[in-house]
Amino acid sequence: MKKARFFLLILLVFLVGITAFSKVVTLNFIEVLTSPGRTKVLKDIIADFEATHPGIKVNLISPPYEQADQKATLMLNTRQPLDIVEVRDYTIKQYVNNRRLENLEPYIENWADAKTLSVVANKAARTVNDTAYIVPQFFFIKGLFVRTDILKNLGVNYIPKTMSELVELCIAITDPSKNQYGFGFRGKSWEFKFSDLIATSFLSDIDPTNIYKTKDGKIYFSDPRAIEGLRMYKRLFDKATPKDAINWGFNEQVNAFVSGITPFLIQDPDTVALVDNMLGREHYTVVPIPVGPSGKAYLDYGFTGLGIPSYSKHKKEAWEFIKYISSPEVNAKLCKEYGPLPIHTSTFENDPYFSTGVYSAWGYMINHPEKYIFASYPLNSPKWPGWAEVHQQYMQSFLLGKISLEETVEKWTEYWAE
Amino acid sequence: MTTFKKVLKITALALYLIAALLPFYWITITSLKDSKEIYSFPLKYWPSKISFNSYKQLFSFANFGIYFRNSAIVSLIAAFAAMIISMFSGYALSRLKMKRFKNRILLALYFTQMIPGFIIMAPLFTMLSRFQMTDKLSTLTILYITMVIAFSTIMAKSFFDRIPISLEEASMIDGCNIIQSLFKIVFPLTLPGLAAIFSFAFVNIWNELFLATMFIFSDDKMTIPVALNSFISKAGISWDIMSAGLVVSLLPTMIIFAFAQKYIIAGLTEGAVKG
Amino acid sequence: MRNSQRKLFIMIIPAFVLLILFVYFPIVKGGVVAFQNYNLFDLTNVHFIGLDNFKAVITDRNFNFWRICLNTALWIFVSLFFQFVLGFGLALLMRKPFKGRGIYSALVFYPWAVSGFAIGLVWAWMFNGQFGMINDLLLRLGIINNNIGFLSDPKFAMMSVIIANVWYGVPFFAIMLLAALQSVPKELYEAAEIDGATKLRQLFDVTIPYIKPTIISTTLLRTMWIMNFPEIIYGMTGGGPANSTNILATLMINKIYKFYDYGQGAAIGFIIMSILFVYAFFYLRLTSSKEVVL
Repeated sequence: MKKARFFLLILLVFLVGITAFSKVVTLNFIEVLTSPGRTKVLKDIIADFEATHPGIKVNLISPPYEQADQKATLMLNTRQPLDIVEVRDYTIKQYVNNRRLENLEPYIENWADAKTLSVVANKAARTVNDTAYIVPQFFFIKGLFVRTDILKNLGVNYIPKTMSELVELCIAITDPSKNQYGFGFRGKSWEFKFSDLIATSFLSDIDPTNIYKTKDGKIYFSDPRAIEGLRMYKRLFDKATPKDAINWGFNEQVNAFVSGITPFLIQDPDTVALVDNMLGREHYTVVPIPVGPSGKAYLDYGFTGLGIPSYSKHKKEAWEFIKYISSPEVNAKLCKEYGPLPIHTSTFENDPYFSTGVYSAWGYMINHPEKYIFASYPLNSPKWPGWAEVHQQYMQSFLLGKISLEETVEKWTEYWAE
Repeated sequence: MTTFKKVLKITALALYLIAALLPFYWITITSLKDSKEIYSFPLKYWPSKISFNSYKQLFSFANFGIYFRNSAIVSLIAAFAAMIISMFSGYALSRLKMKRFKNRILLALYFTQMIPGFIIMAPLFTMLSRFQMTDKLSTLTILYITMVIAFSTIMAKSFFDRIPISLEEASMIDGCNIIQSLFKIVFPLTLPGLAAIFSFAFVNIWNELFLATMFIFSDDKMTIPVALNSFISKAGISWDIMSAGLVVSLLPTMIIFAFAQKYIIAGLTEGAVKG
Repeated sequence: MRNSQRKLFIMIIPAFVLLILFVYFPIVKGGVVAFQNYNLFDLTNVHFIGLDNFKAVITDRNFNFWRICLNTALWIFVSLFFQFVLGFGLALLMRKPFKGRGIYSALVFYPWAVSGFAIGLVWAWMFNGQFGMINDLLLRLGIINNNIGFLSDPKFAMMSVIIANVWYGVPFFAIMLLAALQSVPKELYEAAEIDGATKLRQLFDVTIPYIKPTIISTTLLRTMWIMNFPEIIYGMTGGGPANSTNILATLMINKIYKFYDYGQGAAIGFIIMSILFVYAFFYLRLTSSKEVVL
């Protein structure tokens, strides 16, 4: 008897051992905001995860940033083996439409860390159909970067708190003969984010679910207050930025800031890591976005998150990884290296990295909802993908003086009208 | 030639050379500058101290060695294969007697040059993913051969056109069949032409970006253009590694092209035929 | 001889197998998309919509089709003209052997070896309004007083991308024409000299007619390549500013990559192919080429 039982035990252990060994699951994880720095950190995190989760391996696919979205989309549509996909705010609706993302509500329900997700994170997760199809990872909210050293040299001793103050100050310090300008203008490539930021601050009744509409359902462009804001925007372009700025993208904005040509820059928090590297923390600071005449500003919140393809064969394991990387500790680690805002309120409160220094500007904005209202873009509209090109075309023509503001606004309104 | 004309000629030649080399010079010194110096103002035309930091970063941080190897293997194999295949098809087109058929084939080949690559990408991807042929360097190689085969065939045909058929006819009277006369008599005369085809193909394949981005996922299979493209992120272009990467990726094509253009010119010249 | 002719047929097969599998077949599938509402934003209801995509592209209120066609024509013909003239000039200069010609040709022809993507990047960097070398040189030489926005001013943008394209294309013509030049029999020149023709006359009466086939085919091929490889424009301006450098090919890329509208993208591809086809047909007719020779 004893021998038989012993044998059975051995057999059992053997069988369990075999299944444990043969159960190495490989997850395919595609990222889309690829950057050499971030990929390195992701690989470190993956290594940590694999060490604490034997049996699961994660294969990171990192297409170059410029083609990453197309790649991910194509792979999802042709059912390439993928288990974790980085989804952007721009692409989430598309993936859900084509039924490529798994509904994550059941998973989130049983997730302990979900309790500390910030309001914005919860909102972002449920962008489409009020159902969570992703777990957000990073937030991109604009802040005002200021070259304190340059301002000191120029004899300026205050930091603008309103939009008009900002514009006037930028104009005041502009001196083309010394190659000194004021504002790091964004001329191309999603430049509407910047013009919208400034123009909407002139209104006070923007609809938080669609930044392009006021609460009574009208498109904001033709509102006289918005017109005032846009005129000021053009004034800013004409008098406080180099002519070349009409072609400025992210690269040029940052370069101008770092080289001192434009000491004011409105940008996302992931720029912090970049500017630290190129310039050094001691030369600049970040302050909350200036408010408009109504004492308010409308902030858009860009984000990316992780989703699970609906056809994935390893959903459970994929969720394990997502839980791991979205935990407050790991998320904070990623955000510190990469720069954007973390997803848990606990991180903001408890981690000195985020509660003090330049990041406190964003903390301030998050904690003052009476001044700073989070409004989202109409990401779910089928007109959304084409909007950037259309807006840019007319904005550039307007800034160059080729068409009037009235015509510009008319064309924009026409695009969204239906 | 008068001295005035000579001076004019030399000046003109010099201007062409400067215009050609200027961008290359600029990128090279950018790659040798210290990272912070790249964005400094006023512009420096010579680095204050030469630093190979960008190159170090390129090969360590960015794993460039692997991409270089992948590009080299794929380009060499595909270019060589294209050369061989076009050798046969070019010869055939040259010697074919049926005029109408020949012209139709030629038109079909020229037609491929009219096609904007982008509209084939998606259907090609769907087709190949169904057969699990994605993320394989072998697939990429075959696609590259296809990419250059039309122009290579056209080039090959023109080289063979310049070799009088009398040579083959003579050898066939001597008892060789068509394949033998091909290899023994005709091909040696077109060696310069073949070198030309090889190098055109090589350069185009080495530089190809879109097919590589679309069909290769794994990091260890990426080619150089994809790697270079990956130095562009949401944060824009990292000019330090980018310039180093550009210099390294330009060198092989420059070298191959340098050797080849001699042959191209010789190959296209009718003087390649004796007697 | 029949037997060897059959063998010739067999020799063509490998090339055509590749082309049929990987080019012609996908083209048919890709072409079908032009008549469907294939938009990645929502693939659940793809069906045939006839010529709607074409109509949408031609009447697009935000991207004026005719403006874009004009840009395309400008881009192609101005680039072609300068590439050809400068390339021909270089070929003429290099025709007679001189010391160091080998090394010289290796250096002066290399732009052709650079990828379109790299060219776009490097020239964008050189034309940069703040950090660009070109602005800097012009300022230092006193030719201008303020930085010019080469890529941000619609007046200059098209000119700048054309310059980059010309830089790239000169070697192609120089090489092809140089080869063609060297094949002109010396006797023809000698005869012309005896008749008292000046060098310039010789150029037009002897040289150009003799190498006409090469001129025709290289210009035609280059036209097709310029039309279908917009990497330079895409890398330098993305079609902007304010649509001033947007050509058919960049519009197609934007429709696919930014608007996710594969249907319209394919329609534009169709339009491009038709234009090139018609162009090639008439070009060859007008220049009365019986056969296309390199």
